[in-house]
Amino acid sequence: MAAVSALPGMRIDQVVTGRRRRRYKRWMIAAAASLVITLCILDTIVADTDWSRMGGALGILGTLARYLQLDFSLLPHLFVPAVETLMIATLGTLLGCVFSLPVAWFGAANVTPSIHFFYPLGRFLMVLSRSIHEIIWALLFVGAVGLGALPGILAVAMRSIGFISKITAEAIENIDPKPVEAIRAVGGNQFQVKYYGIVPQILPVILGTIIFEWDINIRRSAVMGLVGAGGLGLIFFRQMAMFNYGGVTMVILAVLSLILIGEIVSHYARKAVI
Amino acid sequence: MAILEVRNLKVQYSAKGPEILHGIDFTVDGDDFCAVIGPSGAGKSTLIRCINRLVEASEGDIILFGQSIRPMGAAELRVLRRRIGMIFQEFNLVNRMSVMDNVLSGRLGYTGALRSLFKAFPRSDIEQALHILDRVGLADHVDKRADELSGGQRQRVGIARALMQKPEILLLDEPTSALDPKISRDVMSLISDLAREFAVPVLCNIHDVQLALEFCNRIIGLQDGYKKFDGPAKGMQKQDLDAIYAMEVL
Amino acid sequence: MNITPPLPKEAARRPLKWSRYRYPESLFRFGGLLAVLAFLAFSISFLNVDLSRIIGAFPRLGEILASRYYPPDFAYVMEPEFLRSVRQTLEMSLLGGAFGVLLSIPLAWFAANNITLSRRIAYPFGRLAIISGRAIHETIWTILFVSILGFGMLAGILALTVFCVGFAGKLFADELEAIDMGPVEALQSTGSTPLQVFQYAVLPQVRVAFTGIAIYTWDVAFRAATVVGFFGGGGMGWYLKRTIQQLETTRVAAILLVIILLVSIAEIGSSWLRSRIARMR
Repeated sequence: MAAVSALPGMRIDQVVTGRRRRRYKRWMIAAAASLVITLCILDTIVADTDWSRMGGALGILGTLARYLQLDFSLLPHLFVPAVETLMIATLGTLLGCVFSLPVAWFGAANVTPSIHFFYPLGRFLMVLSRSIHEIIWALLFVGAVGLGALPGILAVAMRSIGFISKITAEAIENIDPKPVEAIRAVGGNQFQVKYYGIVPQILPVILGTIIFEWDINIRRSAVMGLVGAGGLGLIFFRQMAMFNYGGVTMVILAVLSLILIGEIVSHYARKAVI
Repeated sequence: MAILEVRNLKVQYSAKGPEILHGIDFTVDGDDFCAVIGPSGAGKSTLIRCINRLVEASEGDIILFGQSIRPMGAAELRVLRRRIGMIFQEFNLVNRMSVMDNVLSGRLGYTGALRSLFKAFPRSDIEQALHILDRVGLADHVDKRADELSGGQRQRVGIARALMQKPEILLLDEPTSALDPKISRDVMSLISDLAREFAVPVLCNIHDVQLALEFCNRIIGLQDGYKKFDGPAKGMQKQDLDAIYAMEVL
Repeated sequence: MNITPPLPKEAARRPLKWSRYRYPESLFRFGGLLAVLAFLAFSISFLNVDLSRIIGAFPRLGEILASRYYPPDFAYVMEPEFLRSVRQTLEMSLLGGAFGVLLSIPLAWFAANNITLSRRIAYPFGRLAIISGRAIHETIWTILFVSILGFGMLAGILALTVFCVGFAGKLFADELEAIDMGPVEALQSTGSTPLQVFQYAVLPQVRVAFTGIAIYTWDVAFRAATVVGFFGGGGMGWYLKRTIQQLETTRVAAILLVIILLVSIAEIGSSWLRSRIARMR
């Protein structure tokens, strides 16, 4: 204790007031955040919700109970749409990869054909692909090519471009230049320099990203049917329209098992490539 | 007979940048193991890289195998480069490729587009690669990935890759400075044995004077872009070293 | 001194054979590749995908956009009614993001296998909550909440909350599993309660990363918020649905442009903020 009391009082005061000021600042930030949240709640939940129409806690529980009465008669009709969903996801991911190639090439600063034109174009396409929700992409393509699996594949593909090409472009930008130099030094031509110097470095990253994106695309393609683009979403939509809540739950369970399969496959696939 | 002749070599990385080499002249003969020594920043690495044009010279002449290399076009340069083996400071291996593929990539200059696309190298290349890997002591690591190896082993892969080219000259760019002293000595002694076996002249830039004096028969001393010494390693005196390292006071 | 040359005898004994793929490995590799290719070919025929229509889709899309969706009806999106829905979308994304992030901090704590409270109860609970948030698409969540709670923003906000729990919870848990366990053990050995350990040993290590993830979560939530209205969850998506159903294509075009603009602004803003925060680290 002697050592503590030997400190000059001023120093202790400084520490104490410093801590108090920081605490005050934290409280101010918390208060501001809660104020914003409260205003948002007032403007949305409070102003917009018609509590009486929900029918109280009993009404809500009643709806929930109806969801739990599973409709097993739907089971045989789920297999084909589930396979379709998986196919839409796979083909969409593949098509997305094809589209991503030029976008990643344009958008990687060190290999882009023109830093003033193609580089911003590539970056813009990346942002555009991600800023349009897959539902909106699907709506656009349903309008362009009609109902069916094709608009779903195209929508999934368009939505995948952003992520795949962004990661690929970053991988290209971050390659180690030393092996590239070595291949140049043994007399490799332009193609060999890229194929032996760059591709092995970025391939695991790209494959991992594609597998990751495929996994997400299963989720996405499961809702494509909501806007008329095939797969499980279509069955979900029909069951909902018929108010067959037990059937809705069955569809959701089908989606979940599909996603589980996707998780398992992508887990092993990722292990295989890295 | 001179394999390599360098005349009045000057290098400037950009038009307004400083001149790194201010007119270097020397020759390397068929049986030379020639070391370039000097303090860091003297331009040793730049000098080595000019020989296979990883760095472009701005003035002067480099005559290798009787050809002037500076006016060469891209295709000619590739044909020249496959006759030059290079071993790098940080090995410059493709880490995610196997040892075998890294070694085989030394043959790329001789391999056609279709074969290199499918990584289908001729059988003779694969046999040669196995022989060389055996010779550098990596026979048990053929299918490992390059990043699974230790530093010394990786540099052996780099040596094997350079030998795959059946080089007519070897360029070594600080081959030991990423390795610890014991391994450095092993690697240098391996390289000097192999250079004798394959009868290939070596131009080696090295910062460790002890290793240079031990393994090389000729020393070129650089200081700040000027040649300060050129002569047999045996005749080198303490004052010669002092002259080369005079700038490095601390 | 010279250790490198192997014994010549050994070298001669070693068989000089090497091939890129050994027998079982090559079988798996090519078999797997073949299976994937067969699945792709089968998918194309099963789904009746006409490859020429894929190429044709883009000119056709452009043509339709040019003929029917042009010129965008900007007067419509400037109406106060629509602007109010934009504000509500923003508020929904803020609320969904905030609730989601606040909920996912404890859930991620439960679901991080190095610092979880109990492996038997808390860990599976946290994992399950996060996984179910991720596994089901946000539009399905919206439809479910709408069917239970009725149309309106409450359903949308709850759907966004669940979505954010899945999104942020996984990133948070990954971050928590990568912390340095030293301080945790140090505080545990002073006899601190689990909550104190979390506050003093865990949170300081991940605070910067969590802030970045929270901002990113909001960005993603905003993107999702633009469409939850399409399924009855409130916000601008509802106007999108109404104009699409009434074939008011020039208005649809204007709404889409507004969505793209806002989402791009949100993305640029959030990545700017995140890079600033990452530099503070």
